[in-house]
Amino acid sequence: MKKIIATLALVLCFAGISLAQDELSFERKQAIDSLALEKVRDLSKYIKIVGSKDTPFSEANRVIDRAEELFMSDAEIGVSSLSSNQITYYRVRKYFEHLMRLNYDRVEIEWYNIEYVSDLQRQPDGTYVGVITIFQTFRGYDAEGNLAYKDTTKKDITVYVKRKETQIGGRTIGFWDVLLGDMRVKETSNR
Amino acid sequence: MRIARNIFILALTFAFVWPVAGQTIGDFKMDETELYAMTKQMGQFMRRFNYEEDQFGERLNPKDPRYRSNEMRRQSLPILFDQEKYGTQTELQRYFIEDVTKGDSTFMTFLGGRWYSEVSATFRYNGKDVNVMLFLAVEKEGLGSKWVLTNVYFSEFNKLFPNGEMAEKEKHFLHPMSHELDFMNIYKAFQNTDVIEYYASKEYQPDYLTLFFYEIKKGHLVFKHVDSVKFHVLQIKDWYFEVSWFNRSGLNSGWLMSNVIYMPEKEKVNIIKFYQP
Repeated sequence: MKKIIATLALVLCFAGISLAQDELSFERKQAIDSLALEKVRDLSKYIKIVGSKDTPFSEANRVIDRAEELFMSDAEIGVSSLSSNQITYYRVRKYFEHLMRLNYDRVEIEWYNIEYVSDLQRQPDGTYVGVITIFQTFRGYDAEGNLAYKDTTKKDITVYVKRKETQIGGRTIGFWDVLLGDMRVKETSNR
Repeated sequence: MRIARNIFILALTFAFVWPVAGQTIGDFKMDETELYAMTKQMGQFMRRFNYEEDQFGERLNPKDPRYRSNEMRRQSLPILFDQEKYGTQTELQRYFIEDVTKGDSTFMTFLGGRWYSEVSATFRYNGKDVNVMLFLAVEKEGLGSKWVLTNVYFSEFNKLFPNGEMAEKEKHFLHPMSHELDFMNIYKAFQNTDVIEYYASKEYQPDYLTLFFYEIKKGHLVFKHVDSVKFHVLQIKDWYFEVSWFNRSGLNSGWLMSNVIYMPEKEKVNIIKFYQP
């Protein structure tokens, strides 16, 4: 509930901006960056919960539902490794289910404190597109507690930002709708 | 020599990427310095090139006196070079930095044109995996822009149109009175299909992109996957450079200048024609 109120407050902050606005001011770009980062942080949180072996199956499924809601319906996740440049494509649900089924006894997923946000560019229909880059470390342990696998991945996540309108109390309120799109997952050199 | 160079790179990067950040998880200490130093997106390359973000990767307000400051650019530009190839203080690097940070300096812009993406991809052709290079450019359309295919390089296409010898070319033509004979001699043009193009105008240039679309539509060429991506930048006055992805440890990684050539503007015309005929 708190989250809904916070989001609504953020939405109202941006109210009353013309749809025809072409150039985003520096301050507005920063505000949109914050909205987009909030979605990406939610995604990071969900990956960690679903990847954890302590998360019950039903809870993991509930979190996958939430994760799917962050993305556009046709979003794909393209994964490659150091050993192969070839990209394996997953739909969002499949990616999370794959993560949930990884065959390790214990898993550690952590995020570096780096979130790099690109400039927003407009696509032909006027929707703004950006990319947020984050880094994750993954460690999988076997039953004896030995480290069986580790990697560091760079995740480049597409962010779509669209100006929308809604009616609240008879007034037309403009707001920025943020959805995640395709995500490229690339293994980085061992660190 | 190599140690001295590495120390120099380290000092340079620390000056630019500061402070060193770290966090501890379980038994592991995650050092983020390398990731701060990495040029993580092509857009970050542009921002660093222009000095539109500070050393923490935070976007600078255009009103900020540091925004696009040439003094700051002189400090940040060295980390955009592939140091394994260019070292840290080569003559070329010094000249490049001096030139692009002069009073009338040029900046990179996303919609400024004259920068191209080269996508090296694998396709299936006649039962074999083949490499095809796709060239793309950003084109303005509607309310924004999009990447569009501008050309393609596929060795099989080039083999179809070799640079023939002039003496051989001069043997193949339709004489100027052929029209009076209802072009009864035109059959000769189709006898040796290897040289059919000799019968075209001297202005004729094969359109490889159309050939590519044709082969795709006929199902002869089937896309498999992208192998690598790099960028060719001709936007900066009198310079051409490539930007490639370096996936490696250390403080010089990500999108970096991999090939830098001094190129007066008039020499760029033919290269641009190749990327965007």
